[in-house]
Amino acid sequence: MTLTLITFLPLIAALITLLIPKEQKQTIRLVSLLAAVGQVILAVVIWQNYNPSLAGVDDVSKFQFVERAAWFSVELGGYTVSADYLMGIDGLSVTMVILTAIVALVGVGASWTIEKSVKSYFVLYNLMSMSMMGCFLALDFFLFYIFWEVTLIPMYFLIGIWGGKNREYAAIKFFIYTLVGSVLMLLAIIALYASVIDPETGRNTFSMVAMANQQNFISGSALAPSEGNLLRALAFFALFLAFVIKVPMVPFHTWLPDAHVEAPTPISVVLAGVLLKLGGYGLLRINFPIFPEVFQQFAWWIALFGVISIVYGAFCAIAQTDFKKMVAYSSVSHMGFVLLGIAAVNSLGMSGAMLQMFSHGLLSPMMFLLVGVIYERAHTREMDKFGGLAKHMPVYAGFIMLAFMGNLGMPALSGFVAEAFVFLGAFAVEQTRLLSVIGTLGILLSAAYLLRAYKAMFTGERKPNAAYEVEGHHGEEHAHFHDWKGKVDLDGREIALLAPLAAIVIIIGVYPAPVLDLIMPSLNRVAEILSAAANVAMK
Amino acid sequence: MALHDLLLALPITFATLWTILLIVVEATAKRAQLTFSLTSVGFLILITMMLFPSEQGYAFGEMLRLSPYSQFANFVFALSGLLVITLSQSYLAKENIHFGEYYIIVFIATLGMMLMASAAHMVVLFIGLEIMSIALYVLAGIMRKDLRANEAAMKYFLLGAFSSGFFLYGISLIYGATGEMTLFKIGIYLQENSATSLFWIGLSLMMVGFLFKISAVPFHQWTPDVYEGSPTPSTALMSTASKAAAFTALITVVLNVSSQTENNSNWIFALSTIAVLTMVVGNIAALSQDNLKRMLAFSSIAHAGYMLVGIVAGSDAGYSAVLYYALVYSLMNIGAFGVIALIEQQRELTSASDYAGLFKEKPLLAGVMALFMLSLTGIPPFGGFIGKYKLFAAAVESGLSWLAVVGVLASAVSAYYYLRVVVFMFMREPQAENQFEGVVLNPTLVLIALLVFLLGIFPTGMLRFAGEAMKFAFNM
Amino acid sequence: METVSFILFSFLGALVMVGSIGTVWSRNPVTSALFLVLNFFALGGIYLLLEAQFIAVVQVIVYAGAIMVLFLFTIMLLNLDDEQALKEKFDLQKGFGILLGGVLLVEVLYILGLKINLPQKSTTLTPVEIGEAKNIGRELITNFLFPFEIVSILLLLAVVGAIVLAKKNFSPNT
Repeated sequence: MTLTLITFLPLIAALITLLIPKEQKQTIRLVSLLAAVGQVILAVVIWQNYNPSLAGVDDVSKFQFVERAAWFSVELGGYTVSADYLMGIDGLSVTMVILTAIVALVGVGASWTIEKSVKSYFVLYNLMSMSMMGCFLALDFFLFYIFWEVTLIPMYFLIGIWGGKNREYAAIKFFIYTLVGSVLMLLAIIALYASVIDPETGRNTFSMVAMANQQNFISGSALAPSEGNLLRALAFFALFLAFVIKVPMVPFHTWLPDAHVEAPTPISVVLAGVLLKLGGYGLLRINFPIFPEVFQQFAWWIALFGVISIVYGAFCAIAQTDFKKMVAYSSVSHMGFVLLGIAAVNSLGMSGAMLQMFSHGLLSPMMFLLVGVIYERAHTREMDKFGGLAKHMPVYAGFIMLAFMGNLGMPALSGFVAEAFVFLGAFAVEQTRLLSVIGTLGILLSAAYLLRAYKAMFTGERKPNAAYEVEGHHGEEHAHFHDWKGKVDLDGREIALLAPLAAIVIIIGVYPAPVLDLIMPSLNRVAEILSAAANVAMK
Repeated sequence: MALHDLLLALPITFATLWTILLIVVEATAKRAQLTFSLTSVGFLILITMMLFPSEQGYAFGEMLRLSPYSQFANFVFALSGLLVITLSQSYLAKENIHFGEYYIIVFIATLGMMLMASAAHMVVLFIGLEIMSIALYVLAGIMRKDLRANEAAMKYFLLGAFSSGFFLYGISLIYGATGEMTLFKIGIYLQENSATSLFWIGLSLMMVGFLFKISAVPFHQWTPDVYEGSPTPSTALMSTASKAAAFTALITVVLNVSSQTENNSNWIFALSTIAVLTMVVGNIAALSQDNLKRMLAFSSIAHAGYMLVGIVAGSDAGYSAVLYYALVYSLMNIGAFGVIALIEQQRELTSASDYAGLFKEKPLLAGVMALFMLSLTGIPPFGGFIGKYKLFAAAVESGLSWLAVVGVLASAVSAYYYLRVVVFMFMREPQAENQFEGVVLNPTLVLIALLVFLLGIFPTGMLRFAGEAMKFAFNM
Repeated sequence: METVSFILFSFLGALVMVGSIGTVWSRNPVTSALFLVLNFFALGGIYLLLEAQFIAVVQVIVYAGAIMVLFLFTIMLLNLDDEQALKEKFDLQKGFGILLGGVLLVEVLYILGLKINLPQKSTTLTPVEIGEAKNIGRELITNFLFPFEIVSILLLLAVVGAIVLAKKNFSPNT
């Protein structure tokens, strides 16, 4: 029941919210907060009771907290279509579940200042939070697909209604991009269902766990693993496209900057913190283990596109003057590491990729929260409208420094561990060695744009056209922003949102073992599956 | 006409008697409200009747064939009829055409559809088709003072008459080629003898009739004009139940000639070409429509294309997917037209931009409309998704993956124009203050939305019903 | 005998076509209606050739007689004038339509010209007996009873529909 509860807790909150009159904004917020706190508590319970020695991946019995119930089973013309409500956790999903719970809670906190149609906002927010959690827990592909698509709808409205000036364009672009990916995924699902049987029941199945084992493919079926089966390559790319659009990988990334710039702060937080991870998770859980030999064939290309994303994203970030857009492009750049790490096909690179997802899932919400803080006060995000802020907002500057350092891979912070693992993993394999060297360029470039941004906004003196005023005599000046109720530095709520994220970033940076313990057995299993296919391919 | 036949064909017997009752009541009491209530009761009784298993077999000497197949179809028709009339009331009152006869005609149209779905003989099939069509011509032209409605009715009538002519000619040629008018006897003849070219001409001409009714490309040109001009509740019936009826009849015919069509590459090529054209043309043309009714007209063409994919698949899975889709599609399209009918009563608000700011003033109504639009796009967790999934899965099963690819891509295109409506409703400011002041949400719409949602989450019951129906569609 | 019926058939067929084309072509409604009468008569003749004497008679009495008289009355009562000459232009769409129609016609003619073995129905009745009113009546109330009855619903619908569409001063009642 734990998994059902952690998934549908937000749904319950959404239903309760529907019953509250829309004037009682504070009650509505509290209900969502309660649900999010409940999710975090459940996530901690899961973490504490999780047995890291079981691998999962392609064996249902090695999944934990498994819940299984027949969902629908229909006979259509002598041919049965049945989907299960199958949920479970293994090393691939456990960190993502914890991350989702944390980010969702932070998102609720960040939503506190939303004043426009609060009731609808939180209903949609909770629906989104439910479907994200469901995506990471579902082991039935059909169920996964439903959750995957359901993330789309609330997200679309959240950007489209509560977003900035160009919100319609951004919302539609986001929707169409992701929808194209998902319809392709749907085709692959149909074909997979027809080709895979569940070894326990002997019937066709949507179970991703069964699909990850090549023995479960019906020989002679459309997607049977055989020499030169072109359909397998097509299905692989259908899924691949669906997931890398979400990651996003260059050249399918253009929706992301638009969506981020227009989205309200909490939605940016969730988008960068969790939704992008869905893409990486899908690759690791579904795409690569189901079609390992196709993956092996194209591993170098995937690594190449990972590196292109890293470098191109970083270059784009350098070119930005808008703080939020810069952070958005830096997300593209950092998610490129995930692709590079997985494509290294060893457990070192993959654990780096997984850590990067976790670490970026904490750092990018921090960055977007910080962007939101300054935007709320100054109503602008142009970086050259500030200058010398460190003097007036010391706490804020401290958090910015931490987030920037984490992002550019400073040792003792989580980003460093993750990126180091990725590079080591990719360097260890001959075919990606050169690419990993080029990829390090990405770290240099991030240092360039992040430090430049820091310098522009926080050091030196207030710029003449700055978005804030300074009053007082020399030596004891204080800044104030127009129409922002006298608030300058971070207030208690904002610190409460940022501090836990910062703490986890530091803890993992110093002592990553707990996370690695959770993920390693499963990643080793994935690596085994993938390299077994490589050996077969070489023969 | 033994009593046994009457009982076996109870739904049709009942509907006939109820029609007469309705006419008598309307003629004596002359109260539209009363006729409305009685018609609803009639539909409710029919729906209830369909939910219980009943005896199956041929009635009236192999004229009608009663089975779970006709039961499922009748369920769809009666449900659509009921929903349409509950959504019509306020619209008709507003347009000053609140006649009791309106409800009677809707009821008779449903009776015609029921005949089509139960027909075992070509003559009954044709009479059913004519009853349905003539009722729809009248419904299209019921706004006598409206010029556009007149044009729509005239166009629909003329082209419909042509297509009926083709259909009838096809029947007579098939009779000439096989010497039979009873569908299963035609089937037996075709199993024993090879089909002559005369038969193929006959079948093609019948197909023209069917394709016209489901508005498949290239027989679709009437659709946008007629949908736009007709009173919106009539359009709702025209675009849903009448298509469902044509599809159920089409499946019966195709099943009985399946010995000729199965694995016949010419047949599959012709039909899949039409399916592809219908999906592509419908979706592309819908992209550029500003008028919402026209947009939905083109989208209904596209949906006919999706359903044709199930027919091309030619398997039981494909046919039952068509049945299921017909149900879901009827619900969501009636819902969408129902919302339009509500908004139209306010003023002549028909283009997507007139819906700007609906969410601000009527959040529930906007939410319901958004649900219909998303379900029409085929996004989970709504019924439209399950329907499309079944259709395309059936195509893949039958080795027509390319058709599924086209279908899926076409439906991705459709997201654009459905979402445009959502964008206006939710993300734009209203054009004027209190624009939607007088719009009262009809509870039926919420019910439809709930059904569409439930069909997406718990499709088992209805899918089983549809699957069961297909089992009995051919062999007794 | 064969040649006689062939000549008759060709003659009547030509009349049917002349009648239908004339109906569409003539601008004067009365002429148009009279052409339609011609069409109906010729069709009745073809029925006779097929030894369907009852249908032939019904065709002449009901259509050519009753219905066309009503038509002519209506035309005269409404005092319809010559139809305004429509501006007709030969555009691409129409040309395409004619082309496709022609192709369809040729195809159908070609296939009908093929010697196709048509299935023979075994019956104890002679062709003349089949066409008799007695046998048609018997068929109608035995084998075809259901279609026969259900057509009444169609007629009922036509009546209701005609009332809704045509009644003068029809105001909604609530």
